[in-house]
Amino acid sequence: MTRFFSPVLPLALALALLPLRAAATLSITAETDRTSVEINGNLYLTLQVAGDSATVPEPKIPNMQNFNIYSSGRSQSISIINGKITTSVSFTYILTPRFLGVQKIPSISISNGKELAATPEIEINVTKAAPAARAAGPRHAQQGRSARQASAGARTDGQIFLKAETDRKAAYPGEQINLSVKFYTSVPLTSNPQYMQPVLKNLIPEDLPPVRSGETDIGGERFSFSEIKTALFALTPGPAEIKAASVVVQIPSNEALDPFDPNFFQKFMSMSTAQGQSKEFSSDAIALEIKPLPAGAPDGFSGAVGNYTVAAAADRPEAKAGEAVNFSITVAGSGNLKAVTAPRLPELQDFKVFDTMSSLDIKKDGDVIGGKKTFTYILVPRAAGRKTVPPVSFVFFEPRSGQYRQLQSSPVTISVQKGDQEAKSVYFNGQAAASPKVTASDIRYVSDKPRAGFLADSADGIAALPLWLHAFPAVLMLATFWLSRFNRFKSANPLLFRFRRAKSLAEGAIDRTDTLIKAGKTVEAVSLLYDSFMAYLSDKCGVKVSALTIRKASELIKARFPGASERALEEIRELWTALELRHFAPSAAEPEGAGDLLKKYSLLIALLEKELRGPRR
Amino acid sequence: MKKLLLLLLLLPVPWAAAFDRGELAELNDLYKSDRFEDALEGYARITAAEPANPWGWYNAGNALFRLNRMGPAVFSYAKAFRLDPRNPNIRFNLEFALRQTGQTLVPEGLPRALHYVYYLLSDIEIKALAICLFWLACLAGAAGFLLDGAPSGAAAARAAVLIGALSLGSFAWLGARQNSPFASGGVVTKAGGTRLLSGPGNNFKACASAPEGLLVKVLDSADEEYYEIGLPKEGVKGWALKTEVEKI
Repeated sequence: MTRFFSPVLPLALALALLPLRAAATLSITAETDRTSVEINGNLYLTLQVAGDSATVPEPKIPNMQNFNIYSSGRSQSISIINGKITTSVSFTYILTPRFLGVQKIPSISISNGKELAATPEIEINVTKAAPAARAAGPRHAQQGRSARQASAGARTDGQIFLKAETDRKAAYPGEQINLSVKFYTSVPLTSNPQYMQPVLKNLIPEDLPPVRSGETDIGGERFSFSEIKTALFALTPGPAEIKAASVVVQIPSNEALDPFDPNFFQKFMSMSTAQGQSKEFSSDAIALEIKPLPAGAPDGFSGAVGNYTVAAAADRPEAKAGEAVNFSITVAGSGNLKAVTAPRLPELQDFKVFDTMSSLDIKKDGDVIGGKKTFTYILVPRAAGRKTVPPVSFVFFEPRSGQYRQLQSSPVTISVQKGDQEAKSVYFNGQAAASPKVTASDIRYVSDKPRAGFLADSADGIAALPLWLHAFPAVLMLATFWLSRFNRFKSANPLLFRFRRAKSLAEGAIDRTDTLIKAGKTVEAVSLLYDSFMAYLSDKCGVKVSALTIRKASELIKARFPGASERALEEIRELWTALELRHFAPSAAEPEGAGDLLKKYSLLIALLEKELRGPRR
Repeated sequence: MKKLLLLLLLLPVPWAAAFDRGELAELNDLYKSDRFEDALEGYARITAAEPANPWGWYNAGNALFRLNRMGPAVFSYAKAFRLDPRNPNIRFNLEFALRQTGQTLVPEGLPRALHYVYYLLSDIEIKALAICLFWLACLAGAAGFLLDGAPSGAAAARAAVLIGALSLGSFAWLGARQNSPFASGGVVTKAGGTRLLSGPGNNFKACASAPEGLLVKVLDSADEEYYEIGLPKEGVKGWALKTEVEKI
């Protein structure tokens, strides 16, 4: 034993486990029971999903237009070796082809949130129905006749119809109700019909394949039919409804070919290649009554409905204290096993109870949903001795008798020897329960937020503002842009603005001079008038006041305004002289003289404004 | 100006007062007790009263998913995703529902992070962002012109150019999003799928079928009864009844 645990062993084990750790733990394989199928036949598709945890994701079958798909069942196997779990679930589907030729079953993928696995595409060769079958009996003779009738323009409404019926009109929640949808046709179809399941209210469905087909006489006419069965389980007491089921079929075009038709060849080609005319047929809706379960359910009833047995077993009769023992409770029978929850274990003084997992095998024999569901618990004995797991109680409602039943498993005894270790935490996934594992196998729960957040509300408010309001900042920016350009232009052309403002400045000075004269301040009035006159001429001539003389002003006015008259120039000279005289000899500035000067100045400004409008240089 | 400010402050009030938390709690209780049809009726009332509330659509999507009505569920989740694409629950459930119908939220080959960034903001939020940036750019530009010649004026002008570029980028983002599968898309909501006809009328030949829950592109909605829809992945387009395809 000592040699067995030599230092070489851990190294060898590590090397042996290395490739296992590196390998993908989630896998999916797909296989069919055949690669060629007749158009009126079925094939089985089996998906094998394997993983290293207690649960593996369920494959989601992609939409396939070329096959009708029905779930046929599932079986699950779990192996636990030294605490390492390997789960393998086999999902079986029945596929019925819709079209002839090579049809592809697309890649089917699964993901556990960390790993992704996918199957390769599978090609199926769909062939015509076997000649023996085609020749069998009057059905096909009738089909031929119907085809001839169709080609002669017969209506297909009464020759194709869909009929849905259930095996009962009232049931308890969880009790199986079988829905049969029968599709009848007395005319040939260019492809198998596409079945669209009815919308269900207060019911959950489970396929009951395969599709049955046969022939029958209705009103003296021979019909072939296909029957699709579905098991339904009601959810809650009250009304339930199966809405209309429908099928889409391709029926041959009943338009006769006229050889003299100018479009003869187009029509001929379309007859040979197209699928014909597409038509949809629906069944009537069915209302069901779901009765409430009787009152007085025993303690421990968790909603299981059906007819079950229960059994308990341990994976070994002997164990050491502290070692994990797998204890299983198997519920088997008929009913919606998917809805069966784990039975409550009694108080176990001698064991520590750790993780629980379940495996589900569903069978659909005889159109009855059943199978078994196994709940496996990890029990760790606390101490040595003969330890017994007491009977486990399982309560269910049996619809046939209308009564609750309470079953108990047999007690399971385990011989526990003294162990080397104390009972410690053991979990199926080999990790502490504290580290959660996301399997992402369902949608997230509803939200209790009453409204969108502040950000979204604010965004709504801003986006709802009227469009014209957004012109405001643009107009503001354009206005400031214009102002900025104007200021720049003004800075670059000061004389232009002095020329334009000269008149208004002079008129302002005239008003102020008048006020001063009336106030008896003639000296100040003449001084103001003189300064205004100088400024006016300076603005009009575009030179500084200090550089202006009577002669220079006359020359500049002549040069800048060739249209200026001699009279105007003479008036300028006269006023200038008079103003200089009174400005520099204040004693001569009498009130009457100041008033005259003001009047002259006003008239001169008016004259100059007319004269000095000519071309400037 | 004061009136305008007051108006802006009061804008969120109608949304806040539309329905109360108690009513939602009652509906969620119905959902919790598996009364999905009843819960769905309530959620539908919320979405009718508040089409911009993502949680109404999200909860309705959950109820529809539980009722195995995958097409309407995908449609409701897609509506919620358009309104609040950042929310992890909405994103998760939409992705989950799309997987059930053989589709993916993130296109193959596109990094998830890039897809997340592309859908970081809702259409309305991008529009609001672009408007705010436009206002800021204009105001900064106005300040730049007013302070022309001063150092602060130059700084304002630079800020205006930068914000203006961001605003243009936001408008471009919004424009690109208008072509996303959600903005210009629809979902096949009819149980069992819909038929695509070669023209807007029952007299036209069926040219393809689209399964329930499939995200489609709505190319033309001018006709009273039919949408012209496209299936980009398959390169197929045709006409489908408006009662069988819901525009997101």
